[in-house]
Amino acid sequence: MLKIKRLFAGILGLSVLLASFTACNGQPSGSSAGSQGGAASSAAGAEKVTLAFWNNYTNDTQHIMADTIKKWNTDHPNIQIDSSATENNAYKVKIKTAISANNAPDIIYTWAGGFTQPFVEAGQILALDSYLNDGTKDKMLSGALTNITYDGKVYGLTYNQQAGALYVNDDLFKQNSVKVPTTYDELLTAVKAFKAKGLVPMAVGEKDEWPGMWYYDMIALREGGAQLCLDALNKKASFNQAAFINAAKKLEDLVDAGAFAKDVLGQTRDESVAQFSQGKIPMYFGGNFDAQVIDQSLKGKVSAVKFPTISGGKGTDAEYLGGGADALCVSANTKHKDEAVQAIKYLAENFSSGMYLTGAGLPEWKYDSIDQSKVDPLSKQIMDDIVQGSTGSVPAWDLYLTGNDAQTHQDLVQNLFGKQIVPDEFGKQMQQKINKTA
Amino acid sequence: MEKLLKDKKAIFLFTFPTFLLFTVIVVLPIFFSIHYSTLQWDGFSKSVFVGLSNYRSLFVDNTDGFVQSVVNSLVLALISVGIQLPISLLLALILARGVRGERFFRTVYFIPVIISTVVIGQLWMKIYNADYGMLNIVLRALGLGKYANAWLADTRTALASVFIAMLWQYIGYHMLLMYAGAKSISPDIYEAARIDGASETQMAFRITIPLMKPILCVCVIFAVTGSFKAFDLIYVMTGGGPLHATEVPTTLMYTTIFSRYQYGYGSAMAIFIIAECLVCTVVIQKLFNRNAED
Repeated sequence: MLKIKRLFAGILGLSVLLASFTACNGQPSGSSAGSQGGAASSAAGAEKVTLAFWNNYTNDTQHIMADTIKKWNTDHPNIQIDSSATENNAYKVKIKTAISANNAPDIIYTWAGGFTQPFVEAGQILALDSYLNDGTKDKMLSGALTNITYDGKVYGLTYNQQAGALYVNDDLFKQNSVKVPTTYDELLTAVKAFKAKGLVPMAVGEKDEWPGMWYYDMIALREGGAQLCLDALNKKASFNQAAFINAAKKLEDLVDAGAFAKDVLGQTRDESVAQFSQGKIPMYFGGNFDAQVIDQSLKGKVSAVKFPTISGGKGTDAEYLGGGADALCVSANTKHKDEAVQAIKYLAENFSSGMYLTGAGLPEWKYDSIDQSKVDPLSKQIMDDIVQGSTGSVPAWDLYLTGNDAQTHQDLVQNLFGKQIVPDEFGKQMQQKINKTA
Repeated sequence: MEKLLKDKKAIFLFTFPTFLLFTVIVVLPIFFSIHYSTLQWDGFSKSVFVGLSNYRSLFVDNTDGFVQSVVNSLVLALISVGIQLPISLLLALILARGVRGERFFRTVYFIPVIISTVVIGQLWMKIYNADYGMLNIVLRALGLGKYANAWLADTRTALASVFIAMLWQYIGYHMLLMYAGAKSISPDIYEAARIDGASETQMAFRITIPLMKPILCVCVIFAVTGSFKAFDLIYVMTGGGPLHATEVPTTLMYTTIFSRYQYGYGSAMAIFIIAECLVCTVVIQKLFNRNAED
């Protein structure tokens, strides 16, 4: 009897032990299962390659990604893409953790600019220059690769760019006989006019911090011009100078004029866009990525216009906040460099046109072949009026500054919204904390 | 069965897997974190050993408001013990005396513990909403419209608003622990007390509460350590904002590591939280033991 019990104990113990071992191993091997599977089969004679592709395509509007990947997999039976999507914020954590653990997938979705910079500096991303002279560069719009170029080398292919636009609800403007502002003074007048009618004039979801930063960065672009903004972001010019302090002042003036809701610090971006889409708020400065949602609920009632110019500012209305944003990179550690690069060329080109067509994004690749009449009207307006013919652009600063600096910048802007900091102090702290000089 | 328990090999086989899991998942990461906390590291590039300077930055020349966040969590711990536990105790004592609908109320009070924190966060965010929130609607209906506020967006009210939701969430949890403790006291004692002419209040203070001391000790420890490591509800409701008004060490740690890429500094915060919890657990146990000896 005792023996049987012992045997039982042994089996039980062993099975728990085994289970715990596999549980421990499960995570890392599961996450890179694609690349490992691919490695094994390619060693067996380059029969079938599986590329692991991590992304944040969990949104409904991103069905174009799924369709494109499916088509690739049908057309390339020997190079299969294994796509794994994670929700946006969780994805940021996941990809950072994976890359720091040398566990990156073959193909990486990333944001151009500051987000990718640490990966590149850590040598985790494959430089693509030698792969791009086959006409790929000619298929892309000029400037499409600027934000994904580090130290003169291209590390990824962008397929979607961002552009900020002032969305105005034409109906509300007409009903209240207010003029759509083209200058900052007119903007203030419009704010006061709507305020007097009991409307919240402008939407912003400052709980998420970055939507308010878009306002500031846009005003700074009008105040200082693209070159000065880029210089300051590259630590070649000071933030502690008139242009950036004036921009903070202008934002504060908007806050003081009651341009934003009183619970602005507690609202998320989604909530504020929802209020705009319900026709409750006449103005919203946001990204082209909001166009689709807005167009769905307020079809034909909304225009996307340039942000007003500021008299005395160095920026012109031909500059916009935005530029290359979403990009695909190849891991430096992938065992299938050629296949992965081939795949991202295909994906990036098709994502670019697909997203433009559905109003989910603005193209980075030439789009002459797309039927223009099918493009989402607001996106087309942004592309035609704001992006095309522009003389310069500056990405939203959180794409440019790296982690800590981006967070500091957002915090300081939030302080402007909360009236916890005066413009002079804002400029000073931006310079001290981000450019690390007085 | 007794023989099995005397068998060292069997004991080993049964406990080893758990021991292994615990070591790998809990103990080792703590040591890793201690190591990380001595580094200046962005999570990707080469790290630089900086000794204890991360810990120094937590308190000396601190720029991110860590001290304030610790104070916030201490306030939370204080009101958890001072407000939440007494309410739980009262409910537990009443329910344990066998009121009508005992099971019904027990279930109702426990519901917030079962509901996902995210749902609770959304619920309270809707209550506090400046536009259509229930709180403001009630205030306006009572003619107190001037007190209506953007509760979670105002730096003066955000912290209290979040804390109320947190207290509410775990009242049922502590109540159930205490209720179980009270229920396990033998009815004979009450019978004897009643024969001696003791009132309900006397019985509660002289019999039930003293006999519940071990479970009360557990509740206090849970309430205090729970406050120190509270994260989820705050993260959902305010994310530490507005303007860092509701920041606690855990939310600050999260942004430090995942938004600011300061793994070393963030790990120092994590170690501080662990140390804080351990010390408090020991102190609280000592306090209860000393009382028990008196």
